Amino acid sequence: MSEIRLNNVVKRYGRVEVVHGINLEIAHNEFVVLVGPSGCGKSTTLRMIAGLEDISDGEIHIGDALVNDLPPRKRNISMVFQNYALYPHMSVRENLGFGLKIAKQPDAVVAERVDEAASILGLSELMDRTPAELSGGQRQRVAMGRAIVRHPEAFLFDEPLSNLDAKLRVQMRTEIKKLHSKVKTTVVYVTHDQVEAMTLADRIVVMKDGHIEQVGTPMEVFNHPLNTFVASFIGSPPMNLIPARIEDGKVVFGDKTGVPLPNRLSEFVSDGQEVIFGIRPDDMTPEGHGISDSGQSATLELTVDLAELLGTETLLYTHLGGQEALGKMFDPRHVQENETLKFRLSLDKAHLFDAGTGKSVRPD
Amino acid sequence: MARTPRSSYKTRLALTPYLLLAPAFLVLIFVIALPLVFSLYTSFTGYRLVRPDSLWNWVGLRNYERIFTDWDFWVAFGRTILFLAIALNLEFIFGLGIALLINRITWGQRTLRTIMMFPMMFSPILVGYQFKFIFNDNIGVLNNALQSLGISDAATPWLVDRNLAMFSIIFAEVWMSTSVFAILLLAGLFAMPRDPIEAAKVDGCSPLQVFRHITLPFLMPFAFIAMTIRSLDVARAYDIVDVMTGGGPAGRTELLWTLIARVGYDNSRMGQANAMAYVSIILSVAFTYYFFTKLVAARRYMGGAA
Amino acid sequence: MNASLRKRLVAIATWIATFLLMMIICLPGLWVVLTGFRPNREVLSKPAIWIPEQFNLNNFAKIFGFGAEQVAIPVPAYFTNSLVIALTSTAIALIIGMSGGYAFARFRFPFKNSIFLGLMLSRTVPGIALSLPVFMIWSRLGLIDTKMGMIIVYTALNIPFTIWLIDGFFRQVPKEMSEAAQVDGCTRWQAFWRVEFPLAKSGIASAGIFAFLTSWNEYALASQLTRSTDSKTLPVGLMDFTAQFTIDWAGMSAMAVIIIIPALILTFLVQKHLIAGLTFGGVKG
Repeated sequence: MSEIRLNNVVKRYGRVEVVHGINLEIAHNEFVVLVGPSGCGKSTTLRMIAGLEDISDGEIHIGDALVNDLPPRKRNISMVFQNYALYPHMSVRENLGFGLKIAKQPDAVVAERVDEAASILGLSELMDRTPAELSGGQRQRVAMGRAIVRHPEAFLFDEPLSNLDAKLRVQMRTEIKKLHSKVKTTVVYVTHDQVEAMTLADRIVVMKDGHIEQVGTPMEVFNHPLNTFVASFIGSPPMNLIPARIEDGKVVFGDKTGVPLPNRLSEFVSDGQEVIFGIRPDDMTPEGHGISDSGQSATLELTVDLAELLGTETLLYTHLGGQEALGKMFDPRHVQENETLKFRLSLDKAHLFDAGTGKSVRPD
Repeated sequence: MARTPRSSYKTRLALTPYLLLAPAFLVLIFVIALPLVFSLYTSFTGYRLVRPDSLWNWVGLRNYERIFTDWDFWVAFGRTILFLAIALNLEFIFGLGIALLINRITWGQRTLRTIMMFPMMFSPILVGYQFKFIFNDNIGVLNNALQSLGISDAATPWLVDRNLAMFSIIFAEVWMSTSVFAILLLAGLFAMPRDPIEAAKVDGCSPLQVFRHITLPFLMPFAFIAMTIRSLDVARAYDIVDVMTGGGPAGRTELLWTLIARVGYDNSRMGQANAMAYVSIILSVAFTYYFFTKLVAARRYMGGAA
Repeated sequence: MNASLRKRLVAIATWIATFLLMMIICLPGLWVVLTGFRPNREVLSKPAIWIPEQFNLNNFAKIFGFGAEQVAIPVPAYFTNSLVIALTSTAIALIIGMSGGYAFARFRFPFKNSIFLGLMLSRTVPGIALSLPVFMIWSRLGLIDTKMGMIIVYTALNIPFTIWLIDGFFRQVPKEMSEAAQVDGCTRWQAFWRVEFPLAKSGIASAGIFAFLTSWNEYALASQLTRSTDSKTLPVGLMDFTAQFTIDWAGMSAMAVIIIIPALILTFLVQKHLIAGLTFGGVKG
């Protein structure tokens, strides 16, 4: 069994605390993605799991072992680095076999496992090249190959795709996903890219400033963000967040316009409460140009400042409640500048956050 | 329960760099720090090599009083400062010129750069000998050439005349050390991004303005590295002077360093020599420290762009 | 003046300047080398003989004690001393410098910058100023005029700069290399020898060559701390010639050639790495 448990894990550099007591349990064979903006402590957390940073306080268990005092080599993990960290003075074959050779495995075993990894990742043709002779995507595959040959208890990925160009990134993303289904192992994956997190993860851990903001499946995190940070970080383009006030069962914005209080949230707010109204661009569409919506909704006349054509859809920059807001037009037609459109806001998918704490009013 | 092993593991991690540095420190303490403490002590005694018991003869500040009221010391001191100022400035100017020149050349650049490194790797004693030979008034190649070409019939006393001797020594010093500047400034020119220069040209700067406002500021950190490296061993000039003129004739090329050797070994007045040595150490340290802080400041200003 | 003519003139001027520069750099050394192969008679003649009439290895035979003519200067012993002292002190300085350079390149620790500056400042102490107390202490310890005494001093002299250079070379090896090796099952020690050292070794070699040349060329300390054939080095031995009544220019030049040759060869070998090491260590802080 190779679950990973983090118990109140703290990291301090001198007096500066950068990770503030993280608790997390990662199940056997689970693919967990740590996501957050740069400086949120996600990489530091990963490096503490790997043993590359010492743990200032708290405990980390891998399997049954408390690993706080174990050096990386005794943790039975493998890691893919952002810049791959391939050994430039070794061929692909030597790179792949290095860990096994260090572990004093017999040559036959090394050769067999290296060939196995090479065929999984399609590296068989490249075995005698050096890293300098490989393309970015090939290096990436060698780095992953080096991780899988050792059959570790867990894979750690530290922003493995951020050095690739956009097209290759999408391709490698699917390869990582396929690899995980082939080689069932626990994976901890760090990225700042929420799309990677959404597409790869069994569970997403959203971090900010050394705290965990939310843990959940991609759908949970997307559909039920616990606070405004998660709401704005997950999903692209980000959710519109408009300050508002609850008055007489309505959500009233700063400019006195408003929408009805979403039914499913009405029991969680009280009259006069200051809130933040959140709605994703996908749920704010001109009539006749949205996904058919049978639930509770509101319509508002809004003026479009700018329309951005993306082909299958058009992004509409407008103002809602005096704040800049973004809507989407599916099955688009030409929109003129300053044209006023009737938008339908899908209230079933709207969110309310407490203005003071930023937390979702719905206690999930 | 796991407290003890954990803290020892952490302590070990925190101690590692100090353990790695320990051998270096041991050697430097034994060979440099302790002797310097000892020489600081002797600079307050009337120690003479020929009378070992004079090591315990505490004389307070008398050695310092004596050297600070000694005209010969001040002349040597002033000459040393002047020598350094002239040599370092010439080295910088020539080095910059050479770097710009070689940067223009497209063919054989590497070979030229390699050749340029040779003087820097020569033993200073060799450089001194080489120029002692060349500047020799009787059989030196310089006078021979001047005579053969009919420019001058006289045997010019390059190493005897007060001003010419100083010139010859500075020439040797500049010959030896200019390449430190040339090579580092050339490395700076190689590392220089093209964009700012092109942007400045588009913005209407003349070549001179581009050099003044873009190239030169970019090169300054490299110049300060060269200055720092140079200031580490300015006292190499001792070797050159010792072989070329021995500080003579009649003390006309005496630098602080040759004076120390004369007072300490020839006159065996160790106490006084150590007092002078301290002045020379402070001078060197001040030079290095000054250029090092300049380097750090320039580096910060560049934001690591180099 | 049209543009292409002007361009051509600039090119010609550049070539002339480069040619002059190379002359100034090369000629003094070449003249000494040339003299090493000529007899004294020719060197001293007036008016000067410009085209060598005799050109042979007699001077070298002479200073090494072969052939008819003999000199009173034991060059072979000096040569051996120089070699033993320079090689041993370089080896020790490299081991210590690698350890220290690695500490600076890979670890964060309090007072790191001050310690680095302190190391560098220890190198600034003028040789002649340092020679005074070392002379006094070495004479009490019986280290005057011993190879051991010189090796210790040169090791100390070389440590700061070796650390500076090696620090730079290790920092050019990404930290992730060591981390990847540790995750792959290496101890830190194994990671160092199997990954970081192989990647930095050419740089380390050039730091070693630089240290070797520093020891090989040093004069100020050696001139005071050595006395006899037991420990005198070539640069000190060179001065033996000037102590004689008439200077044996040809013999001295032959000896100079012997000192120059290793410097030439080794400089040629290290120049690329040395430049990289100096600039990297300095600029990237």
